[in-house]
Parts: sequence; C-alpha cells; structure tokens
Amino acid sequence: MAQQRDEDNFRSQVEDRLDHLFQEDSPEATEEHARLREHPLKGLKAILLSIDWEITNGTMDSLLNEIKNVEYIYSEDKIILTFLQLLGSIGRYVKANKGRAHPNATRVINSVYEALEKVALTEGMSRAEKEKMLLEEVANFKKLKEQVVLRKVEKKEPAVSKGAPPPPAPAPEEKEISVTESFLPEETAVEARAEARFAGMSPHEAFAYALEEIKDVIRAEFRALRAEIKLWRESK
Amino acid sequence: MESRLGFLKPFEPNGSQERFGFMAIINLKKKEVQSKIVYYGPGRGGKTTNLEYVYKKFRSRIQTEMVTIKTHGDRTLFFDFLPIQIGTIRGYDIRIQLYTVPGQVKYESTRRLVLRGVDGIVFVADSLAVRRKENVLSLKSLADNLASYKKSILEIPLVFQYNKRDLTDDGIPLLPVEWLEQDLNSELKAPYFEASALKGPNVAQTMKKIILMTIDSLRNDLT
Repeated sequence: MAQQRDEDNFRSQVEDRLDHLFQEDSPEATEEHARLREHPLKGLKAILLSIDWEITNGTMDSLLNEIKNVEYIYSEDKIILTFLQLLGSIGRYVKANKGRAHPNATRVINSVYEALEKVALTEGMSRAEKEKMLLEEVANFKKLKEQVVLRKVEKKEPAVSKGAPPPPAPAPEEKEISVTESFLPEETAVEARAEARFAGMSPHEAFAYALEEIKDVIRAEFRALRAEIKLWRESK
Repeated sequence: MESRLGFLKPFEPNGSQERFGFMAIINLKKKEVQSKIVYYGPGRGGKTTNLEYVYKKFRSRIQTEMVTIKTHGDRTLFFDFLPIQIGTIRGYDIRIQLYTVPGQVKYESTRRLVLRGVDGIVFVADSLAVRRKENVLSLKSLADNLASYKKSILEIPLVFQYNKRDLTDDGIPLLPVEWLEQDLNSELKAPYFEASALKGPNVAQTMKKIILMTIDSLRNDLT
C-alpha cells in the first residue's frame, strides 16, 4: 500500500516536471500558418507538398499552372517573379524527367519555395535582404544545373576496358533543365550553347573559342556598365 | 547500496551501473536514471521535425543541445539526438535520450543500430494518402528490428503519432485516422495522437506520453 502510494507520487512528480518542461508559451507557429492560409502562395505550397511524394504529369501540370497564376498576381514584383521563374524551370525539368530527375531537384524546389514564402510573407523585409535570398537560390539553381549536366556527361562516357562485361542497356536519356527562360537565363543559356559548340573541337580550338567568348562577355559587361553609369548620371 | 526510489529493486553490483529489462541505465553512484526513446517511421514522415519542434519551442527549458547529422538533401543520415533532463526526483537525476532513425529504406542497418537499448518508441506515421504502404513497411521493419534484440513490439512502450494532419487545410489528400488505426494499430492498441510536427499540435503531448509510459515500464520492470 505504501509502495503504491510511493509509485503514484513518483509518477505525478514526473508528470509535473513534464508539464512544466512542455508548457506552451508562444503561438508563433500557428500565426505563421494562419497568415499563409489567406495568401496567394497557399495553392502553390499545397501542390509542392504533394509532389514531394508523387511526381506525375498531373501534379507537375498543376504546379506549372499554379506558378503561372501566381506570376500573374505578382507581375509587378520582379524579385518574386524571378523566384517563380526558378520554380518553373526546375518544375519543367522534373516533369520531363520524373523519376530520372537529379535527386537534388526536389530539394532545390523546396529551398526556392521556402525562400519565396519568406520573402512574400515577412513584413518589413528590405529589398537588399530579398535580393540576397534570391541570389542564394539562383546559385543553388545554377549548381543544380551543373550537376545535371555533369551527370549527363558521366552517363555518356562509361569507362570501357578490354574484356569488360557489356554495358547495361542505356537508361532513357535525362533531359536537361530548360534554359529558355528570360531571367538569369541569358547567362545559363549561353553556357548551354557553348557546351554544344565545344563538342567535337580539339582542346586548342575550344580554348581559342572560349577566349573569344570571354572577350565578348567582357565587352558586353562594359557596355552594360556604361549604360548604367549614364542612367545614374541622368537621374542625378 | 539501496535505491532511494521506492519502486526500484535495490541491487549491489560490483560496478555502480546496471541495465534493466529494456536497458534503461540506473546509476546508483551518480544517482542517475537514463532512458532511451526512439522516434521511428518512414522517411520524410516528420521524425526529425518532431525533435526540432520540441528543441526550438522549449529551448529555454530544455537547456541541452540537439545533435543532428544530415545529408545534402536535408535527410537524416545517421540519427538525431536530443537529451532532455527531467530534473531530480527523490534525489535521482532523470534523463531522457531522444533519438530518431533515418527513414530512408537504404539505412536499415543504421535503424537497427539506433534501436539498440531502446526503452520506448514513438512511431511517426505519415498521414499523406500516398504514403500508406510505406507506413506499414516501416512498422514491420520496426517489429523485425526489435525482434533482432529479442524485444517484442507488443511489449515495448509504444505511441503512434499520425503526423501532417494540418495538411488537410491545404487540400492535400490524407489517410483517415480510422485507416491508419486499422493498418497500424489494430493489434497493438497503443495510444495515438493526431499531430503536426511542423506546426506543433500534439507534438509535446506525444513526447510526454511516451516518457511517462517508458518510466512506468521501467518501474514495472524493476518491481
């Protein structure tokens, strides 16, 4: 009897400690959720969560359509628009490749969306902060693109040695991330075109070609800089 | 040396540390009781998110550090570890060690390793409709892995958490709780919680329940 009382007492002490430890004191998370419920990004988030597990033409079409809807809503906000274009690019790539898509593609989609949500929902975030977040996601996107290209090259160049067993039947070819968009795009499109041009050249030819390309890029950069300086002077 | 906890069997080991039943550690010299609880479940079900929520939300009171090892894809590679100190009760320092296992199928041997010495389990089931099969497979793997340590899923303290219930607000198809109960808990009849590890509802309740059940089990095991 005394032991039973002892046990109950011990249990209730543990319960008290746990109640104290897990005492609720901040409703932050629920507030954030409530904000999103009424937000134009709500539908986009729902679709992104569903494609986390199920990549089908249907879900990917829904994603791309929803991106278009949200693009329309944010047509005046260049930063958000660029986030959406990043999502669209990766979305089209995942749709084209589905299970063969690079495993990092969904990670980058999620990362871009998280940053987009933060930029869209955080009140009082400065333009500089928004741009910084955008640049980070652009860097992630470019890295993913490089990984996709690298994987494609690796698939095309299997090591062949005498007496080695025949290679397995080739998997369906992986399609690259589309580079036809008009945002950062200019740059990535140039990269893709260059890759195509270098194919079949000797190393020396490719080097000379690349040097000319670099000169062109530098000239273009200077032209752009001059134009910006001119605009700045005019605005003074 | 006699245990000061009324229900603990007194023992006099050569060393001061003993393992009981499901391997909780009672250290009489240091006056410590340590118990290990593992969050188990399919990949991307929310095991790590559970610990992260508790760690962030109750940070000021937990006063320990969470250790987590992730891959580039933000997935658990080995395990997450969050020690929680319940405090001193009757002179004994009660410590709970919370672990998660990596959910991805390929890490079966790691999951088995993390389960070694486990005292209590939270099975975090994914409520997404498309994850029904993965839940069942993961529960089976839990039973098999426990069996490899000669433990029964029917006997170990177990709490189910049906996670991601908040997604119903976003229009995402979820498994009805009745289906989850039928698929996973019809024989085990373990307590369950509908929760959202991301938003918080029932995350702490799940943890409180498993800690209490584990301490009860430890008590029963010792008397």
